[in-house]
Amino acid sequence: MNQLRRQFPVWGTIVDVDCFSQSVGGAQLDRAMESVIEFCENVDRDFSTYKDESWVTRLRQGKVAIVDCPDDVRVVWELCATAKDLSDGAFDPWAVDGGFDPSGLVKGWAADKCADLLVAAGVGHVQVNAAGDLALRGGWFDSVTGVVKPWSIGVVNPDERTEIVKVFDITDGAIATSGTYERGAHIHDPLNGLIAIGAKSATVVGPEGWLCDAMATAVMVGGQDSAQWFGQPELQGYQVFAVNRHEQTAWSI
Amino acid sequence: MKRALLIAGGTVGGLGAVLAITPPQLGPTSAINIAGAPIAGADTTASASASSSSATSAATTKATAAATKSSKPVATKSASATKTPASGNSAASNSANPTAAATSAQAAPAAINGTFTGPSVNVNYGNVQVKITVVNGRITDAVAVKAPTGKNDRYTNMAVPILKAQTLKAQSANIQGASGASYTSYGWFTSLQGAIALAGL
Repeated sequence: MNQLRRQFPVWGTIVDVDCFSQSVGGAQLDRAMESVIEFCENVDRDFSTYKDESWVTRLRQGKVAIVDCPDDVRVVWELCATAKDLSDGAFDPWAVDGGFDPSGLVKGWAADKCADLLVAAGVGHVQVNAAGDLALRGGWFDSVTGVVKPWSIGVVNPDERTEIVKVFDITDGAIATSGTYERGAHIHDPLNGLIAIGAKSATVVGPEGWLCDAMATAVMVGGQDSAQWFGQPELQGYQVFAVNRHEQTAWSI
Repeated sequence: MKRALLIAGGTVGGLGAVLAITPPQLGPTSAINIAGAPIAGADTTASASASSSSATSAATTKATAAATKSSKPVATKSASATKTPASGNSAASNSANPTAAATSAQAAPAAINGTFTGPSVNVNYGNVQVKITVVNGRITDAVAVKAPTGKNDRYTNMAVPILKAQTLKAQSANIQGASGASYTSYGWFTSLQGAIALAGL
């Protein structure tokens, strides 16, 4: 079993890719990893709100229309609309100061795409950690026992970052955590413009990374009221784990 | 005169009927909340009971009759122990699954264990039935064993998820990755990884 782990800076953060493959190794595995890094750089080029020439920046400035954008941008635009609908508007990339900002969904979406690139290259066991938004494929290979196990992913305690407060075992799927503790209060309630106070941190686990990412942000806004969204058929198979703001408590669905 | 008698008789009869029927205001999910969710807000529970309150009164009355004697002390006990809002003192406990109530009646009211299936509740466009697993008085799982299907799915299912409250505590486990709010710096990231390794997680 070949293993390759790479960490590279992109999107103003760090992406950590860990993968195992029975059949793919050496230069072939390196090439697959390079294609992942290239994809991430393209995402940055197209979606960054910090780059003057990115498609998203030009969308925000009204210099281009969504129909003029490349496929990936149009796809993300549509996914944003779906997530806004499923969260009753608590996730709303159009309500951000300065215009359309898909940052709350792109990382989860891109993590999935990275993982799928590796799988398409024949790599069976993949973990892509895009700064807290993870995509998992095929479990991981435990060389001690020689057995493939689900990826065990810990949720970080928002008050004590060296602590893990919850562990999810995921073979295939995604997990995303949103919180105000690392980047400061950057999530706003689109309905009133105030800082989101629904939870201290919110984690969503499910099949699709973009939806986990967006719904984690939405739960930060909606708090325990968010529970109702997860009864919708589109969100069957998604789990929530949220840390309350004041008590040392959490809730989950 | 005859008419006056009829009216009087009708009034008395109607009043009797009203008194005889316990108001069917709380559904199975309310009982769930009492049993084991001390902090989780009543939000979903509220929506759940709202939809299940339209339960046919026949079903609710039957549940009342079966459960009044046995389930009351259990539910009251856990309600006071967990400081749940006093909303479910009588009607809520009654709507707990009659069979479950019957079995827990013999046991001491202290620790509640087992799976409990609520009655099937008609919500106009289908039936909802919820099964919970309780360990030592805390809900460890809650699933809908029956839920309406069809075009109303989206709305009816919204009543189904149940908040499970828990105390936040550090977990010691072998993990391969961590999910937290976005890290901003490579330094923070490597520091976290180091700390996790040090902690032996």
